[in-house]
Amino acid sequence: MLHYYIMCRSLTYAQRAARVLERSGITAILTRAPRSISYEGCLYCIKVSEKRLSEALRALKKAGFNSSRIYVKGPEGSLTEVKR
Amino acid sequence: MIYLDNAATSLLKPKSIEAAMMRAMATMASPGRGGHKPAMLAADTALDCRQAVSRLFGMSDPEKVIFTLNATHALNIAIYSLVKNRDRVVISGYEHNAVTKPLHAIGARVAVASSPLFDPVAALEAFESRLLGAKAAICCHVSNVFGYILPLEEIAGLCRYYGVPLIVDASQSAGVLDIDFSGLGAEFMAMPGHKGLLGPQGTGILLCRNSAEPILHGGTGSNSAIPDMPDFLPDRLEAGTHNITGIAGLLAGVRFVMRQTPAAILEHERRLCGLMADRLERIPGVRVYRAVNPEHQTGVLSVTVDGISCEAIAEALGARDVAVRAGLHCSPTAHRTAGTLETGTVRFSFSPFNTIADVEKAAKIFGSVIKNL
Repeated sequence: MLHYYIMCRSLTYAQRAARVLERSGITAILTRAPRSISYEGCLYCIKVSEKRLSEALRALKKAGFNSSRIYVKGPEGSLTEVKR
Repeated sequence: MIYLDNAATSLLKPKSIEAAMMRAMATMASPGRGGHKPAMLAADTALDCRQAVSRLFGMSDPEKVIFTLNATHALNIAIYSLVKNRDRVVISGYEHNAVTKPLHAIGARVAVASSPLFDPVAALEAFESRLLGAKAAICCHVSNVFGYILPLEEIAGLCRYYGVPLIVDASQSAGVLDIDFSGLGAEFMAMPGHKGLLGPQGTGILLCRNSAEPILHGGTGSNSAIPDMPDFLPDRLEAGTHNITGIAGLLAGVRFVMRQTPAAILEHERRLCGLMADRLERIPGVRVYRAVNPEHQTGVLSVTVDGISCEAIAEALGARDVAVRAGLHCSPTAHRTAGTLETGTVRFSFSPFNTIADVEKAAKIFGSVIKNL
């Protein structure tokens, strides 16, 4: 299953986003972002499944969260930014 | 021991606070410093605390709840963010050294909106006549010496009218008075965790309307590869490892206050304060600083005794296991305003855990002590 990584500017922001998704019934895993996509250093991200991405983005937008970079993890483990 | 020094630190705490702190010590690491379970448990506790505080003070954004070491630290961030050398700043006549000393260090021009005790109309007039052209205004919600409740909502309204950013020192009102930070439109509000919010020492909070300038620079667990501090809250103002044990205790304290409600806590403390004032007023030579309208005072009461030093009274009370505070209470400005700068006062301050029996006993001991000094 493909997973998407929604990047967050801070841990607090990521926690709040994860809680919004949990309240919406969307499984969201808060995790430290891989260094390769943490250009500013030490970022957190929310990991959601491919099936729930659109729903998750809608829920976050409704809760007032700004859009941020999203990455998809390929089968071989590489991370590619998703153009929106 | 009858502990009546709650305006300095609330010593008696709900049992849930010690339990929360012990649990944090045993299970939590540092928020933002790892993705492992102890770090994430700490992060959850920090966010829970920010959310509880934001609910208590009518804020929608918990990211603008900043953890500090104490109210002084929070006030320093707020003051250094708004005030520069030679700026004119209006303060009330009841400010603490946590306000006046940073202003002095910066070299601000301070206009004291001095007004008589327990006279909110005069306080408003004093502010209004000084606000035009000021760079900032700073006002304590409640005097730490006299328990005088300043007309904060009206002062905030004047600041909005004149376009002057307001810093509120809620050190003596947080947990005791209902406060709507968003409704006030203040730029900052600072408070300790260890007084009315019933948390442990070493905790404080700064509420921000917008952003602020950091006075500490260092690791935040975010934007590590960039030399500047992050441009987002709370990270911008929270360099270094958090006092997560303290924050866990503070969260338990805030939850206790929310369950009890500030209104109920105030009612209880006011009742005790009124009773103490009744008892002490009967003693010859004792001057009690009591509001004619009880709605203008919280559960903090200052007294002086003709011909007897405040420190001698507090020492004698301490020897009889009654803990109070004497002197200037780090607020010479308040004493200058009230005319007690030369003598200081003896201060009684109550908590949700004090009882009528405490007051009756302490008042009796006070009367006995006065006779023997």
